[in-house]
Amino acid sequence: MTEKTTEEMVQRPPAEVRFAEELDRLREADTGPRPPGWALSMEAARRFIVGDDALGVRRKFVGDPSLIDRALVTLATSRGLMLVGEPGTAKSLLSELIAAAVSGDSTLTIQGGAATTEDQIKYSWNYALLVSEGPSTRSLVPAPLLRGMAEGRAVRFEEITRCPLEVQDSLLSPLSDRVLAVPELTGPDAMVFAREGFNVIATANTRDRGVNEMSAALKRRFNFETVFPIADFATELGLVEAEATTLLERSGVGVPPRRDVLEVLVTTFRELRTGMTGSGQAMDRLSTVMSTAEAVSVAHAVGIRGWFLRGEAGAPADIVECLAGTAAKDNPDDLARLRRYLEQQARRRDGAQWKALHAARNLLPG
Amino acid sequence: MVGRGKNVTFIGVRHHSPACARLVGQTIEALRPAYVLVEGPADFGDRLDELLLGHDLPVAIFSHYRDETRVHASWSPFCAYSPEWVALTTGRAYGAELRFIDLPAWHPAFADRRNRYADAEERYAEVTRRLCRSFAVDNTDTLWDHLFEVADDEGLEERLAAYFDLVRGESSAGPDDAAREAYMARWIRAAAADAGDRPVVVVTGGFHRPALQALAGQEDSGPAPHGTGWPEVPRPPEGAAGGSFLVPYSFQRLDSFTGYQSGMPSPEYYQRLWEGGPEQAASALTETVVTRLRERRQVVSTADLIAARTLTEGLARLRGHHRPARTDLLDGLVAALVTDDLDQPLPWTARGPLAPGAHPAVNEMVTALSGDRVGRLHPGTPAPPLVHDVATELERLKLDQAGTVTVRLTDERGLRRSRALHRLRVLRIPGVERESGPATAAEPVLEERWTLSFGDHRLPALIEAGAYGATLGDAAAAALDERATEAGSAAGRLATVLFDAALCGCVDVSGRIAETIAAGIAGAVDVGDLGRVLSTVLGLWRHDELLGTARSTLFGTVIEGCVTRVLWLVEGIRGGPAPADLTRLHALAATRDALLHAAAPLGLDREAALAVAGRISANAAAPPDLRGAAFGLGWSLGTVVDPVRAVRGAAGPHTLGDWLAGLFALARDEVLAVESSDGAGVLGVLDEMIVALAEDDFLVALPALRQAFEFFPPREREIIAGRLLDRRGLRGSARALLRTAADPLMIAKAKALEANVERLLVAEGLVPRRDPA
Repeated sequence: MTEKTTEEMVQRPPAEVRFAEELDRLREADTGPRPPGWALSMEAARRFIVGDDALGVRRKFVGDPSLIDRALVTLATSRGLMLVGEPGTAKSLLSELIAAAVSGDSTLTIQGGAATTEDQIKYSWNYALLVSEGPSTRSLVPAPLLRGMAEGRAVRFEEITRCPLEVQDSLLSPLSDRVLAVPELTGPDAMVFAREGFNVIATANTRDRGVNEMSAALKRRFNFETVFPIADFATELGLVEAEATTLLERSGVGVPPRRDVLEVLVTTFRELRTGMTGSGQAMDRLSTVMSTAEAVSVAHAVGIRGWFLRGEAGAPADIVECLAGTAAKDNPDDLARLRRYLEQQARRRDGAQWKALHAARNLLPG
Repeated sequence: MVGRGKNVTFIGVRHHSPACARLVGQTIEALRPAYVLVEGPADFGDRLDELLLGHDLPVAIFSHYRDETRVHASWSPFCAYSPEWVALTTGRAYGAELRFIDLPAWHPAFADRRNRYADAEERYAEVTRRLCRSFAVDNTDTLWDHLFEVADDEGLEERLAAYFDLVRGESSAGPDDAAREAYMARWIRAAAADAGDRPVVVVTGGFHRPALQALAGQEDSGPAPHGTGWPEVPRPPEGAAGGSFLVPYSFQRLDSFTGYQSGMPSPEYYQRLWEGGPEQAASALTETVVTRLRERRQVVSTADLIAARTLTEGLARLRGHHRPARTDLLDGLVAALVTDDLDQPLPWTARGPLAPGAHPAVNEMVTALSGDRVGRLHPGTPAPPLVHDVATELERLKLDQAGTVTVRLTDERGLRRSRALHRLRVLRIPGVERESGPATAAEPVLEERWTLSFGDHRLPALIEAGAYGATLGDAAAAALDERATEAGSAAGRLATVLFDAALCGCVDVSGRIAETIAAGIAGAVDVGDLGRVLSTVLGLWRHDELLGTARSTLFGTVIEGCVTRVLWLVEGIRGGPAPADLTRLHALAATRDALLHAAAPLGLDREAALAVAGRISANAAAPPDLRGAAFGLGWSLGTVVDPVRAVRGAAGPHTLGDWLAGLFALARDEVLAVESSDGAGVLGVLDEMIVALAEDDFLVALPALRQAFEFFPPREREIIAGRLLDRRGLRGSARALLRTAADPLMIAKAKALEANVERLLVAEGLVPRRDPA
């Protein structure tokens, strides 16, 4: 899947392909001791994520560096890593980056959902072969967990809490005994022992179904790391600007987003997310998730509207139009809160873009 | 970082850093200097013996200042591992002359600082942010530990020098820093000149060191000091009050997670690091955290402990530490012990106070590392005048024993005792608790019960309260004034301040309280709160002989302010039919009382009030209860009105009850008075209207009507019931009419149900239609 010929057309190549050069440089300069089964030393893996100016490695995660430290050290121990947090806080990106750094491969991924079964986690069978030859390693179709254990790599389990409890619990013995039984096979093949380098990186979001529903036995086998929304305005603005610029270029938009428009956008998102204005005045918070990821997608949409409809960079009126779809979704209460925000808060701010945002308030539906 | 120029050695430190403290101690030991100059308040310089009496640390120099425009209090805290403390004690041990060389705490250069030894970080945030990025650490505290506290001592001087040169080189010092540095440099030059060939050691914040080094080399350009060459200690301006005293301090206050503007976080951790090194600190504190968690019945298994230990080791190694640092320990513990999502970021990833709602395990960790050590002053330490005044006063009033005290407010001595205790209470002196006593002005409680206790916290609180004034009365009045200012326009809080002022006997002591409160009331927005203030104060102003506040000028001002503001606010209220808002009716009733009883002595504008009442009662956009109340206000103040017409005008099942609630709240007496002279009064019209209501409408109006009649006390309700019987020509007990066996609402509901059943039966043809005849 990562052949050079097709790479150009891939919408989003995995992290180890996107950042292949950085990984190479880190590997060359890497002198530290590697934990058994790891592709990089822990220090190099950390630098891959938090950035290293000397080696030209970009910072890819803007949260606290100590979180990365704890995550990496956890992966070198016998516990799995559980990343929890609000939707849109870059948990999946972080798990992808960590897997790419630790194992050089982030594609062993299980996507959790209501319909996830044990087959998709452990292994299933090629039924034609199973019927003609009986159970054998040839007819066995390994799923990510089995592959990760056999090859000694990090396995990502996305949205683990969306799986039914009994499916989640199939991780218990692989995580504690580090072995997976395949009872259909006989002899040495019946037990797959995890090789060094295997571990599980799970993500769970706190909105859908809380981690409270996980069994205590499984919780005990993970170290929890909570990923928070970006605390600092300038960092978030910078991130939204960088991401939106990249996305807009890829969408064929000829101008970068305007910084003053983005400032208004990011401020709006932050204030509606925390229920607190920049000056500390309490207001209503939206029940919808106002994550940085949503802000990036609104910035992207604003740029596209501006460019393809009017040939310019996008204006606050576009923000209002897009907010109605992202922020309010189908929730009339949120729509009312958004309207009140535009009516009362936007009115009092200085600056041409805030004035324009206030003037565009009647574009909200209803 | 040590820099040597001529014979002067500059050590730039971070306040409360054990690594710097070690360096200071070693340097002084090696150099045996003639002078040790320390960044500290110069005006305390001649009292250094007091500081070195042999206190249990932590202690602080508390400085306060008060003039016409500015009130300022600040602390210079010392703990065992403060470089400044080590400089003083080691310097004294090796026979050096000790000097504090910084400007006094009252100096305008310190106007925004509450803690002299708080970090100066905000001035160089940009540089440290970049450093944190390149070392990939969360914040300055972690960076500091990484570079200095857990790193080897070898090369510490050079590293400190490089760090502070970088920090200072890239940040601009403000005029405050410039003033302080110029002053400190004068001391350094004087000491260097006086010491001759012998060495001088200067211990200051690292941020100042590069500038001091440069300044100390220059010729003295300041005003020529007379004779000695030593700089003068600045004196506070005429008319200002100020002073410095030693207070016991605590680790809790030193900790930046809880304290305001403090230095390094987690003092207990650094105390242990100072005593036994990072490994010992880590293992001792892990034990404390686990014990604390288990005491709170949080499960901490042996497996968790092993995991925490492994993670701490792993983190230390990943971060290149030979010995675990503070955050290695905390990060290891949190990763192993917390198996939930957190509601807020870990407190040690950012600076600032611990927000409420932190995870219990995180909370315990922070508390354990913060510690609960409390300092204790040597008994010979001088104390501010308030401490002595309070001691004498309490002894005179026989309040100097722990235990329960009952005071009678009716006798002179009891009142004096009560006032003294209340004054201590408003100064927030711990160990003075009132168990019972009058809670509002209206309560006929003549006795108070107090519980007195004497703990560790009392003395520091008293010393700090000394900033408010030299005597208990002055201090309490100043404290109340400050609370009134803080309360701003929150009328409820102002009322509490006023009542406290009455209890403390401080009502007419300070004209400033009156001004502050009047300003606050002029900006209040909650009618209900204002009403409460007004009725409290009016009650005291009219009747309070007990506490002696009757006819007080302060309360007069407050009453006038409240009346004006209530009238302004109620005219702005708009709204359709809504349940009567009792708080605003009470506010209007209080306004009426003020106008009736205090208009003449206080010069209240009765005409303006009547005009407002007239406009509201005629305003269709005002809510019905308010219109009724406004009508009642006019009536009760003696305007000639036509109540019967007004009642008819308020008819309508949705509004009638609420309108009447307003009327009855304000003009109950008038309603009954009209009734007795003339049979066709308000009650007659009401009776007529209610009888005429359709069954459904009656049920709609009923709850509000009942609420309205609640304003009549039982005896008056009996009169009304009697009149209703008279109107119908019936004879019987009016009292029995009021005491129905069942709840009237229940009866009404039952009637409605019966009617409904009957209607359905008729509709289905199950019973013959009852002939109306």
